[in-house]
Amino acid sequence: MSDAATFEAVREEITYAFDNTVFFRKHMEASGLRPEDIRDPDDFRRIPPTSKVHYRRNYPAGVLARGYTLNSPNVMRFQSSGTSGDRLNSAIMSYDLARRQATALGVNRRFDALWRPGSRPRICRFAPPNCSDVECATGFSTMEDRILPDGTLVLTVAHDLLATPEWQIVKALDEIESYQPDLLVVDPTHFAFLTRWARRLDRKITSPRHLHTVCGYTLMTRVARRQIEAFMGPDAPIGDMIGMSELGYLGFECDHGQRHINDKDFYVEFVEGGKPVENGRMGELYVTTIDDGLIPRVRYATGDYFTPVGEACACGSELPVVRVEGRATHMVRLPDGRVVTPAAVDAAVGTAPWLDIYKFEQDRTGVCTFRYIPNAAARPDDVAALEARLAETLSPQHVRLEAVDYISAERSGKFQPCVSHISAEAV
Amino acid sequence: MTVQSAPRDDFPALRREIDGQTISYLDNGATTLKPRPVIDAITEYYETNGANIHRGKHRLSEEASDAYEASRTVLARYIGAAANEVVLLRNTTEAVNLVAGGLDLPPDAYIVGCLDAHHSQILPWRRAGRLDLTRVDGYGRLDRDHFRQLLRGRPQVVALTHCSNVTGVIHPVEELIAEVRAACDAVIVLDAAQSLPHESVNVHKLNVDFMAFSMHKMLGPTGVGCLFGRSELLAGLRPSSVGGGMVDWVDVDGSVDRRIPFKFEAGTPAIASIIGSAAAIHYLEGLDAGRRHEHAQELCTALVDGALDRPGVSLIGPPDTKDRIPLATLRLADGVPAGEVARLLSDSHGYMVRSGHMCAQPLVTELAGGEVLRVSAYVYNDVTEIEGFYRALDDLLSWMAPTVPAGAGRP
Repeated sequence: MSDAATFEAVREEITYAFDNTVFFRKHMEASGLRPEDIRDPDDFRRIPPTSKVHYRRNYPAGVLARGYTLNSPNVMRFQSSGTSGDRLNSAIMSYDLARRQATALGVNRRFDALWRPGSRPRICRFAPPNCSDVECATGFSTMEDRILPDGTLVLTVAHDLLATPEWQIVKALDEIESYQPDLLVVDPTHFAFLTRWARRLDRKITSPRHLHTVCGYTLMTRVARRQIEAFMGPDAPIGDMIGMSELGYLGFECDHGQRHINDKDFYVEFVEGGKPVENGRMGELYVTTIDDGLIPRVRYATGDYFTPVGEACACGSELPVVRVEGRATHMVRLPDGRVVTPAAVDAAVGTAPWLDIYKFEQDRTGVCTFRYIPNAAARPDDVAALEARLAETLSPQHVRLEAVDYISAERSGKFQPCVSHISAEAV
Repeated sequence: MTVQSAPRDDFPALRREIDGQTISYLDNGATTLKPRPVIDAITEYYETNGANIHRGKHRLSEEASDAYEASRTVLARYIGAAANEVVLLRNTTEAVNLVAGGLDLPPDAYIVGCLDAHHSQILPWRRAGRLDLTRVDGYGRLDRDHFRQLLRGRPQVVALTHCSNVTGVIHPVEELIAEVRAACDAVIVLDAAQSLPHESVNVHKLNVDFMAFSMHKMLGPTGVGCLFGRSELLAGLRPSSVGGGMVDWVDVDGSVDRRIPFKFEAGTPAIASIIGSAAAIHYLEGLDAGRRHEHAQELCTALVDGALDRPGVSLIGPPDTKDRIPLATLRLADGVPAGEVARLLSDSHGYMVRSGHMCAQPLVTELAGGEVLRVSAYVYNDVTEIEGFYRALDDLLSWMAPTVPAGAGRP
C-alpha cells in the first residue's frame, strides 16, 4: 500500500481538483467536505468514490482542470468503447501516460532494452478495433491512415475476432514485418488468434529489432499466454499490463511473473463494502491520480478487482504485488452467495493445451456454459478433467460444456473469457 | 418556450435518463421514436394473436390477415393510393431496389438522378443502368437548367428525391415531374422517405409512377418500407423475391403469381410492425395539422438561426427556412471531428444527433468536404431543445478551440 509521503501528494491532488475542476468541487461540497478536512487516510475515505459515470457525464467542462482545453499541447483525446459497453470519452497528457508507463514497465527487467536514450520504441497494436480512434476494422485503410500521432501502427482486425477474414490477417502479418516494431501492444486473446493463423500460414511474427509484447485490454488467460509464449519463443519478453484507457498503465507483470500495481503515480486503495481490505482479500481498485494536471481523479472506482498479496517479490520491485481477479461486471455469482472471479475460472481451465479459446458465460438465470474451441491435441479425457475442475470451483452450480467452432466477440470488439449477465446487470 | 405538436409523454423512450440526465432525441432524420399507441398496437398483436396471415382458415389467422390488410388500407389512404398499389416491404432501400431491378431495363438504360440523393436512390440505379446525377447549387438546391439538359437525353427513368436528408431542402417535385412528363416518357421514381414524415403527399395528384418511404421515420416501427406504384406499372414489375405467399398456384412445371401487390411480398412479412404502422398513421392524423405545421416552422427557424448565428459552424443548405424540414446539417471548423463532437453531445449533454456522411456521401463531399453533424427535429421536440443543443455545441467547441495555453491551472 502507498506510504505517508504519497498521501501528501494525494492531499495536493485533492486541493488541485477542488480548486480547478467544477465536478470535483461539487462532489466534495455535496458531502460537506473541503480539502482541508482531509488530513489522513481515514478522512480521505469520507470522500465518496468517483466513477466512470461522473467523468463521462462531466467531460470535458466539469472535469478538465481550469486552464486546459482539449487542444492544449500534449493532450491526447480518445473515445473508448469500454468494457461491456460502458464507454468513455476522455483525455490524458502524453507525458503522464509516458510517466505511468515507465513506472509500470520498470518492474520488468526484460523490458529495459525498450527505452534507449534519444529513441522511442516503434509500436504495433493488435487489439479490439473500437479501442483505437482510427479506422482499423474494415481493413480498407492504409498503414499510413492507421499510424497514430505517437507513431503507433494500429493493425487491422475485424470487430468479431474469429470472423476476421484471412486476407486481413495476412495484412496484419505483412504490416508487422514491414513496420519492424520493437513493441507489440496486444489484446492477448487477439494475439493468440494471430499466432494460430501465423502457424497455419507458416508465417513468423518477428522484427529485426528485439520484439517485446505487452498484453492488455482483457484478462490474459493461461490458454492465450500458452499460445503466445510457444509461438514467440523464450527470447521474446512478454508482459501482462494492468491498465485503463483513461489512466494508462496501472501496473505490469515483472520478470518473475507477478503483477505489480503502480503506487508511485497513483494512490491506490483496495476496497470492499466501503472499507479497505486486508492483504490476501479481494477488493475493488480505487485510484487517485498523483500530479495529473489535466483530469485529476480522486478515489476513482475502477470496477476492477485485485487481491493485494502483501509480500515482497523476488524481482526486487517496491511496487506492491497484486493478484488480478477480474471486473466486477464479470464475476460469477453462485446461488449460495459465493462469488467466483474470472481469474478463478481461468485457474480451473489452466493452460489446456487441447483448446484454442474459451468463453465462460453465466446467463440471467444463473445457468453457466463453458464454450470452447478444441484443437487437434484434444483427448476424450481432457473434457472430463476440465468438467471436474470447473465443478469443484463452481459447485453446486452445474456448468455445461460445449465444444464449438466459433464464439462471437462483444460488439465492442472485445473478447471477454468470462462474463456474467447477473453481475453485468447488478452493477 | 414553445409547445410540441405531440406530447413528449406519449414517447416512453424520452422518459429515459442516461447517467442521470434526460435525453433529447434530435436524430429524427435517421429514425423517429415510437409513441405509446404504436407500441401498444404491436404488443396487442403479440399478446392476443400472433398467427400468420394469408395462410390458414383458422380464426386467429383470419383476424391477423384482416388487421394486416386494414393497415395497408390506412397506409394507402394516407398517400391517396388504392390499397393494391401499396407494396409492404422492409424499408425504402428495398422498395427502390425492387423498382430498379424489376423494370428489366437494358444495361445501358439512361437514368437521371440527383446529386443530393440518399445512397438508396443512387446505388440501385447505378447498378440498373447509366446514371447521371443532376447538380446542385452551393445551398443544395437542384440546378434546374442541368436537370432540363439531362432530360434532353431522354432517360428511361428519373429518380427524384423529394427532400434531402442532408440539406433538408424540399424540392418542387410537382414542377420537376411536369418537366419530365413534357420532356420524355421516363418512369418517375420518388424517394419520399424524408418528406412524408413532415408533409402529406397525394401520389395521384403528384402524378408520380413509384414512390418509396419508410414508416420508421414517421413514428412507425422499423422493418416497414412502402412502395407505391401505379397499378399498371406495378403489374409489369418483376418480383425480386419468389417463394411462399406470392403465388396462387405452383406445380412441377411452373407457377402463377398472385395479383399486385401480393406478388411482391414473398415470405412472412413484419405483421406486427405493419399493424403498428397503421397506429402511427392514426397518431399523426390525430395531431392538429395547423399546429404541426406551425411547430415545424418554429423548429426550423431555431435550427437555421442557431447555425447562422455561430461563426464556428457552417450550415449545409439554404440560409433560410423556405421549403425545408426542421433539419440542419452543420460543418464544423477544420480539425474538429464531427464524430467526437456527436459523442460528447450525447454522453456529456444528452443530445442525440447524427454525424458522418449521412448516407449521401457525394453531396456531403461536394458541399462540406468531409463528415458533418446533423440535427433533425420532429413532433415531440421543442425549441428549447434546439437552443440547448446549440449551447452544448458552443460549450464543446470552446473546449476544442486551439487558442488557450496549457497548464495555467497547475501551480
